Amino acid sequence: MEFDFEAIIQTFMAECEEHFAKMEEALVALEANPEDDQLLEAIFRGAHTLKGNSASLGYPKVAGFAHAFEELLQRFRNRSLPVTQQRITLLLRSLDAMRQMVPDAIAGGDELQAQQIELLNQLASGEPEQVTGVHPSQPVDSPRRPFGLRQTDTAAWTERAGTIRVDTQKLDRMLNLAGEIAIAQGRLRQAIEQAGNEKTEALEAQDQVERLSLELQENIMKARMVPVGPTFRQYMRTVRDIAQDHGKSALLILEGEDVEVDVSVIEHLKDPLTHMIRNALDHGIEPLETRKTCGKDPCGTISLKAYHEDANIVIQVSDDGAGLNRKKIVERAKLIGSLAEPENPADPELYRMIFEPGFSTADAVSDLSGRGVGMDVVRRNIEALRGSVEIDSESGKGTTITIRLPLTLAIIEGFGVGIGEDTYVLPLHAVSECIEMPVGERSHDRPQGVINLRGEPLPYVRLRSWFELTSPRPNRENIVVVELEGAKAGLAVDSLHGARQTVIKSLGDQFRDLPGISGSAIMGNGRVALILDVPALLRAVIRSQGNGSAASLVANRSGNDGPTNMISAQYH
Amino acid sequence: MHDQDNTFDHAQYLTFHLAGEEYAVGILQVREIITYGTLTKVPHTPASIRGVINLRGNVVPVVDLGLKFGLTASPVTDRTCIVIVEAHINESRTIIGVIADSVSQVISLSDNEILIAPAFGTRVRIDFLRGLGKSGDKFVLILDIDQVLSADDLAPAAPGVIGSEPGTAAGL
Repeated sequence: MEFDFEAIIQTFMAECEEHFAKMEEALVALEANPEDDQLLEAIFRGAHTLKGNSASLGYPKVAGFAHAFEELLQRFRNRSLPVTQQRITLLLRSLDAMRQMVPDAIAGGDELQAQQIELLNQLASGEPEQVTGVHPSQPVDSPRRPFGLRQTDTAAWTERAGTIRVDTQKLDRMLNLAGEIAIAQGRLRQAIEQAGNEKTEALEAQDQVERLSLELQENIMKARMVPVGPTFRQYMRTVRDIAQDHGKSALLILEGEDVEVDVSVIEHLKDPLTHMIRNALDHGIEPLETRKTCGKDPCGTISLKAYHEDANIVIQVSDDGAGLNRKKIVERAKLIGSLAEPENPADPELYRMIFEPGFSTADAVSDLSGRGVGMDVVRRNIEALRGSVEIDSESGKGTTITIRLPLTLAIIEGFGVGIGEDTYVLPLHAVSECIEMPVGERSHDRPQGVINLRGEPLPYVRLRSWFELTSPRPNRENIVVVELEGAKAGLAVDSLHGARQTVIKSLGDQFRDLPGISGSAIMGNGRVALILDVPALLRAVIRSQGNGSAASLVANRSGNDGPTNMISAQYH
Repeated sequence: MHDQDNTFDHAQYLTFHLAGEEYAVGILQVREIITYGTLTKVPHTPASIRGVINLRGNVVPVVDLGLKFGLTASPVTDRTCIVIVEAHINESRTIIGVIADSVSQVISLSDNEILIAPAFGTRVRIDFLRGLGKSGDKFVLILDIDQVLSADDLAPAAPGVIGSEPGTAAGL
């Protein structure tokens, strides 16, 4: 019984969060379109459901609060009170209060805090009090522009029917099984082909089964894909609140809300997006007055865009603000002393600086940004997702940050290589070409060497030696050339198996700190292959050389020891 | 997994041979026994970790207890198999394969039939043992499999070493 109740609470919490998110979006939208009854209805429905659910589970305080919330909305509905910015703020703050109340109530807390009681009173009176510390209202001459939202297709607010919540672990298990079926089928096919007579029909049936199971596998993969819209829409609130608090005016425009991406990618995108949007508001969008002086629309625009490009999803955050302050970045960079050509650095190199840990051009640390952690977090999060970040900026016109990510973390485009009996998988994007081991290099057994690749020296490492494999070395070897940040290195292997899509399996906690190995994959024959993390692998190789200062592939390439930290700066 | 020794008067143990010794594991911790297949060696791991296998789509590490106890690795024969056990390592449930030269039998022992392991003389560290059980006129070493598998080389690395994506592969 207890277990059942636990499950109910879990569902309740998840549903609450869903309602809060929807109501929040709708509230921000309502502020921009106060006459939109459909939005109002959507919020009302959410509040009503919350009230009902919490009352039936025995959380009277939450239910009571939701009731007061609903009452105020009711007064909007019958037009006895107009929708104002202050009232929306009150409702948003009340929403936050409920967010806090739900876990408190579940934990057994039954008392409203003073602040919550205060909100409750304001909800009841419908007269929000001015919150100190927040800019009271817009300057009189500023145009009354909406915060946050463009005109939305209100149909999107209507409930989506026929969906269920599924634990992603269940999907993973289904995917595992589908993969195993494919392996078993490979075996079956072999058996049929060797069976001799009367096999045509069996083979036909086998073909069909294989097709179907492939389709099944693809469909399970698709089930992990969710649209970016709901995540994107959360930022409307962020933009609204921050702009309002800082006396700025900004509009968030969303594009590509229906673009789908793996649910685990979305999870890891939230932090980077928050940082980038905060940055855009704090550093990008200028104060109202400045914008007017520059002849810009006083209301700034931040756009959040998603689209597909090859096997990637591209997410773009752009603002029409001041652009990156070149001068300040150069100053700051000189101070740190990390520019190759301090006098006239190239844009990409300069912009890359802002991703360095501790790099900030802000004169003062604000509550928004300036601590120099933001962009570093962005970079690290994106790297962890095997993605890349790019910045483009024009002074006075704005900044665009482009993130490229793989569509899913469950699959990579892999490139298989063989060493003895073992197969290893390299991420295909890391591979630039493959060549045969030159005759002169075959004679020696050294773990490393340098060959001449079209006139350039190419250092290579024999994976057989590096992995301490005991299988005998064949006569012919191949070198896979990998490229990182413009520098090249070779990995010597026995054979090349070619590219194929590979489902990534976690290797588990026991193997978590192995440098250069990021996971595993199950091959068509049912065996496990290890997936190599090329940058980490090369870093480990370089470190083993006692070249510990910088894990750089191209140390002193141009005679200076600038920040050509090729491998560790792998974020573009 | 419950502590079967306290819950039941008689508990069952699976015994297996490894490097000339007979060992026993509480049967409630044994998930299945599979034939020895091809292992994928994971580089830069202790020798006692023989590699990983594909267990119905899950990648499972396989341990050679012989090497872990400081004995020599025994040759693979057609009787060699892998006992898949469920161990609690650092409070998390982990599925691990244990190599056995051959699986022997299931024995039933009551608490008072389990003898305290002597302070020395056994081939296995005393903290790896729950005790000794009698099987005919010989003793079987009853392993505390959680303890054995938790010891140093199998324990997870300190947190935050390399990518810590739960459930997915770390960044490439």
